[in-house]
Amino acid sequence: MRKTWILRCCLAAVALLVRSAMAQEQEKAEKSSGTGAAAAAATASSPDMHSPALPKPGREVVAEERAARLEGEKRFRTNCGRCHQQPHKFPPRVMATAIRHMRVRAMITDEDMRFILRYMTQ
Amino acid sequence: MKRTTIFISLRGCLRTLAGLTPVIALLLALTAFVPSALGQAAPEEEARPIPLLTGSAGFLTGFTGGQPDLHPLVTPLVLLPIGPKWLFETRATLETDLVQVPGRSGFHSGPVQKEVEYAQLDFIANPYITMTVGRFLTPFGIFNERLYPVWIRNLQSDPLILPIGIGPSNASTGAMMRGGFRAHPQFNINYAVYFSALSTTSPVDSDRFAGGRAGIFVPKARLEIGGSFQHLLQQERSDLFGFHLIWQPTRLPLDIRGEYADSKRGSGYWIEPAYKLSQLPFLQNEMRRTQLVARYQQFFTGPLPSDSLPPVNTKQFEFGLNYYFLDGLKGSSNYGRQFSSAGNANVWTLGLTYRFVVPLGPTGSAR
Ligand code: HEC
Repeated sequence: MRKTWILRCCLAAVALLVRSAMAQEQEKAEKSSGTGAAAAAATASSPDMHSPALPKPGREVVAEERAARLEGEKRFRTNCGRCHQQPHKFPPRVMATAIRHMRVRAMITDEDMRFILRYMTQ
Repeated sequence: MKRTTIFISLRGCLRTLAGLTPVIALLLALTAFVPSALGQAAPEEEARPIPLLTGSAGFLTGFTGGQPDLHPLVTPLVLLPIGPKWLFETRATLETDLVQVPGRSGFHSGPVQKEVEYAQLDFIANPYITMTVGRFLTPFGIFNERLYPVWIRNLQSDPLILPIGIGPSNASTGAMMRGGFRAHPQFNINYAVYFSALSTTSPVDSDRFAGGRAGIFVPKARLEIGGSFQHLLQQERSDLFGFHLIWQPTRLPLDIRGEYADSKRGSGYWIEPAYKLSQLPFLQNEMRRTQLVARYQQFFTGPLPSDSLPPVNTKQFEFGLNYYFLDGLKGSSNYGRQFSSAGNANVWTLGLTYRFVVPLGPTGSAR
């Protein structure tokens, strides 16, 4: 009896949290709609970000690098402070091991891992 | 005799696997919806990983009834990446207690306790599945697997419900399948499904059980909610359930974590908000390093007894102050008060914890 009561309270609390989080996001999206930052974030998650191999005119490559760095930073902030304090940057090969470890332990997605590793080793 | 045991355990396994079929089917169905699923190989990492010696060291002082009890500990963790898809990882803890002996001056050390907490081999099969074999931290709830190390936990005491679902030595001996993937543009799913065999060799003992944990993470809201399930394949053969929540609102320097667990041997919950003072307009350099933490928890005894859980219904309130000197180095002080029919008690802890990362090879440039 007592347990179902607690479970119901937990679920109600979660529903409230999700609602307020969604409202917060919507508010933020409304505020930033049309600004350059939102456009940069949108291009950063476009699929061709994952294969930056084709030769491109210099300016485009720089813009792409910048967008990838922004996206990497965003994903770092979203994922890497969830369990512990966000770590600072380590040398590239140290970071590669830690990120592989976190991929297993924290179940960071493949795509997040690539962006974060790139951002943390630049 | 031996053959009967094997037969029974096989039957147990099969029964559990049958029980887990809906979960596995759901997971496979979910992966099927994700574009370019399974066949894809693990990504080529930009920098070649090297072996690391990492882990934490801590010096914790507890005051119970005014008597100090010094507790130094060191937890080394070795990470050994092998090729592009494998990782061997192992963690051990060495700890001792320094206490004052009546009639003698200074502190005296008890025996140093050493324990291999886990030793596992991970194979990153593809972006959706990682296989693990060996001895691994049981992924029931979040504290054991994600928050246990002294440099991570916000309050140095363990939650009362921690022993529920993690086995006698916090680890399982067996195999696990796990992974995390984007299931929808708005959320990721993470899952772990495991089986553990019975081992009675102390301190690496484990129970025979099978279980799983799944979570949904909404990156935009920085919210994760999830549930754990376990079926015990020995003793009372009961089911255990858990629920967890992690929320870091994007607007506030606030972390909220909580867990609920239910078993035949007891049930309970804890909820822990932690707030960084970075929004205060004065002493900004100091304030952004300072964190206030509170934890409220309750434990209810179950129909069956347990050695590791409180013997009576218990409520506990804790309050803590952490100061992050630099990345990995933290000073913490906690005060807690426990209320139970066995008597009320105060718990004070002061501590300094450090997380180290030592490369075991050239860290050089990428590649
Ligand atoms: C789901 C929880 C969780 C998340 C999310 C997480 N970590 Fe960790 N991290 C841990 C735990 C737990 C440890 C300690 C492992 C141990 O001692 O067993 C750790 C340890 C580390 C360490 C120390 C070296 C090591 O590998 O043990 C580094 C560096 C680190 N994490 C970086 C990161 C980065 C970068 C991210 C973001 C991609 C991240 N973490 C996200 C849980 C997490």
